[in-house]
Amino acid sequence: MAFLEQHIHDAPTSFWSKYIFSFDHKVIGKQFLWFGIFWLGVGGLMAMMIRWTLAYPGVPFPLIGGLMFPHSGGVVPPDTYAMLFTMHGTIMIFFAITPILIGAFGNFCIPLMIGARDMIFPTLNMLSFWFSMLSGLVLLFSLTLPMGAAAGGWTSYPTLSTNIGQPGAGQTMWLVSLFLFGVSSTMGAVNYITTVITLRAPGMDYFKMPLTIWGIWLTAILNAIFVPVLGAGLLLLTFDRVFGTTFFLAGAAATSGKGDPVLFQHVFWIFGHPEVYILILPAWGITSDLLAFFSRKPAFGYKMTALSLTAITVLSTVVYGHHMYTTQMSPLLTQSFMTLTMLISIPSAIFFANWLGTLWKGSIRFHSPMLFSLGVVFVFGLGGLTGLYLASTSIDLYLHDTYFVVGHFHYTMAASVLLGGFAGTYFWMPKMFGRMMDERLAKIHFWATFIPLNGVFTGMMVLGYAGMHRRLYNPFIYEFLQKLMPINKFVTYCAIAMGVAQLFFLWNFFKTIFGKNIPQASANPWEVGTLEWTIPSPAPHYNFDEIPHVKCGPHEMGNPNLKTGRDYQYQTEELVKS
Amino acid sequence: MMTKAEQQTELKSFQNSVAMTVTLISFGMMFAAMFLGYFLVRFNSPTWPPVEIENMPKFLPLFSTIVMALSSLTYYMMENKPQQRKAYIALTLVLGLIFLGSQWSLWSALAESGILISNGNVPSMVYAFTWIHAGHIVIALGLVFWIGDFVFRRPEALTVGKLVNVGKFWHFLGVIWLLMYLMLFVL
Repeated sequence: MAFLEQHIHDAPTSFWSKYIFSFDHKVIGKQFLWFGIFWLGVGGLMAMMIRWTLAYPGVPFPLIGGLMFPHSGGVVPPDTYAMLFTMHGTIMIFFAITPILIGAFGNFCIPLMIGARDMIFPTLNMLSFWFSMLSGLVLLFSLTLPMGAAAGGWTSYPTLSTNIGQPGAGQTMWLVSLFLFGVSSTMGAVNYITTVITLRAPGMDYFKMPLTIWGIWLTAILNAIFVPVLGAGLLLLTFDRVFGTTFFLAGAAATSGKGDPVLFQHVFWIFGHPEVYILILPAWGITSDLLAFFSRKPAFGYKMTALSLTAITVLSTVVYGHHMYTTQMSPLLTQSFMTLTMLISIPSAIFFANWLGTLWKGSIRFHSPMLFSLGVVFVFGLGGLTGLYLASTSIDLYLHDTYFVVGHFHYTMAASVLLGGFAGTYFWMPKMFGRMMDERLAKIHFWATFIPLNGVFTGMMVLGYAGMHRRLYNPFIYEFLQKLMPINKFVTYCAIAMGVAQLFFLWNFFKTIFGKNIPQASANPWEVGTLEWTIPSPAPHYNFDEIPHVKCGPHEMGNPNLKTGRDYQYQTEELVKS
Repeated sequence: MMTKAEQQTELKSFQNSVAMTVTLISFGMMFAAMFLGYFLVRFNSPTWPPVEIENMPKFLPLFSTIVMALSSLTYYMMENKPQQRKAYIALTLVLGLIFLGSQWSLWSALAESGILISNGNVPSMVYAFTWIHAGHIVIALGLVFWIGDFVFRRPEALTVGKLVNVGKFWHFLGVIWLLMYLMLFVL
């Protein structure tokens, strides 16, 4: 069978070529992981400040408040509050979740799991990371500007994001930063799509690929198609701010002509809704694989899961209007978007049922990656179901821009993806760094995260249902919201607990990588059969001595005909039949 | 029966073709999003052309279109006539530079006619779309120059994949320009 043979370079020897400007997909994956964890910390700290302000309005932020906000005596000022939730959203979506789920796991897993030696375009891969880094630096620098960073919300709707809504360079730098990030994502997408299409090992049919690869590949397709749409919107908004064009300015805001602020919303959500799936598809893929691995069973309805993920990918491109029901959209359009949105629940229900089918009567091993995967099942179930309320036009008119929406999208985009990311990190840690993370700490981390996480996001939905609007600096100046103060405090306590829980992860992560006397992980500590576990841990330079020949699916476990003493088969082995 | 080397060349060519197709879809989506803005403005406008672009230059955009079409033709000839490759790549480069020059002249002529970027939606679109397109032309010219380097100095290293993929990008930008020309200056 014809197979594209990749050129093998010598292993890099200098520090710069090995760790900084590396062409190796594994190193680039780790670079994205470090990058994402750094920004997760920054975004998390911002979340704490937001939550503190909502629980204790007018009270200085503890410990570092005086240092960060000296002019207001340590209290988060109103304009800074707007900047905080804008940057929190931006950072978590583009600089934490995307680098970890897509950058780190995409880079690390794709070649290893499809049986390739590297990405198809290693130089493009390296450039993709460094464009991300440049984009992150621009965003970081914008925080130091005299008039502050962007404060128009992560969606940056005009007129808030125009020179009238936000003078100063902060918003412009936000636009430049995201444009650079878009370039990086598009480079990555071209690489991922081409690698999966052209570099699969002999015998690795599409329906023998692990579901992790399905998730990442579909994400890359959405990225390639829709990130440039955002790019166009960002460019035109930049022109409005810098050159005086009037694409998104109307009424008194426009000195001449009349643009349309809602046009930006269209462009943003044409990208923005697929972006939800861009973030979550890798987590679904990882979860689908891990549930099978740790249930010691083949994934129930593997093909239907892969096809459901594909159906969701397709449907995600035609539902963006449900973010804009309140923009005086015609009823015909709202009903069309509502119907299309509801349709997504069909493939979602299929793969969700498949997850439960995989667990059913499995010999479940409750290792940390499995706990986090089960966490994804729970929080995605809850987050997904609450999405149905928001898909309905009549209910959305009431819930739009309330904390219900915030709770909903945090359950789906933050909680599911975060737990999926942790599951992946604990699972592939031995292959990435050659060491196992401490299971006891990992399990403490899981429960200490999972319980308060539900407190935070369920609490948010209750607040929203009670009418609390998002983005209010001090909701309690409204009499009808004053009775929500106790729930806000509860949500904040849960958020602090969840934040503290991450210290267990950080301690475990750093101890595993840099600690002394940490034993070397075996080649296959989790006893699974996908290709990356057929090679030593950590994965060697250029991965495979010989390109593997794939003969069976990724989840061949619990086969009663196996006589090897193992309960799993490697993908390089013929499927044992009776 | 293909030799192993031929198989590898074919696979490499397929791989490059997939990558370029994905890249062009990405670029295409960016321009499509901008055209969406155009159509919204166009269909919501009570009169067309709006008063602010009455003095729009007519000749320069037409000239740019002819130059762009010719450059696509010369690139195509370069791909298909290996003996005259040097002449055709040089012509493509020159035509590309003339196109950029004509765009510069267009922006100057617009300004002289009193059509400034901040004069309203349509002038905003004319400037922004042509700027963004010209930015892509600069990148594409860099790639054509790169092909030229192969043609003149290392012809043995010039693969069909490189030639075809750069060509796809160049022709794609030609099509985008044609659409822009029709939308902004003709229809």
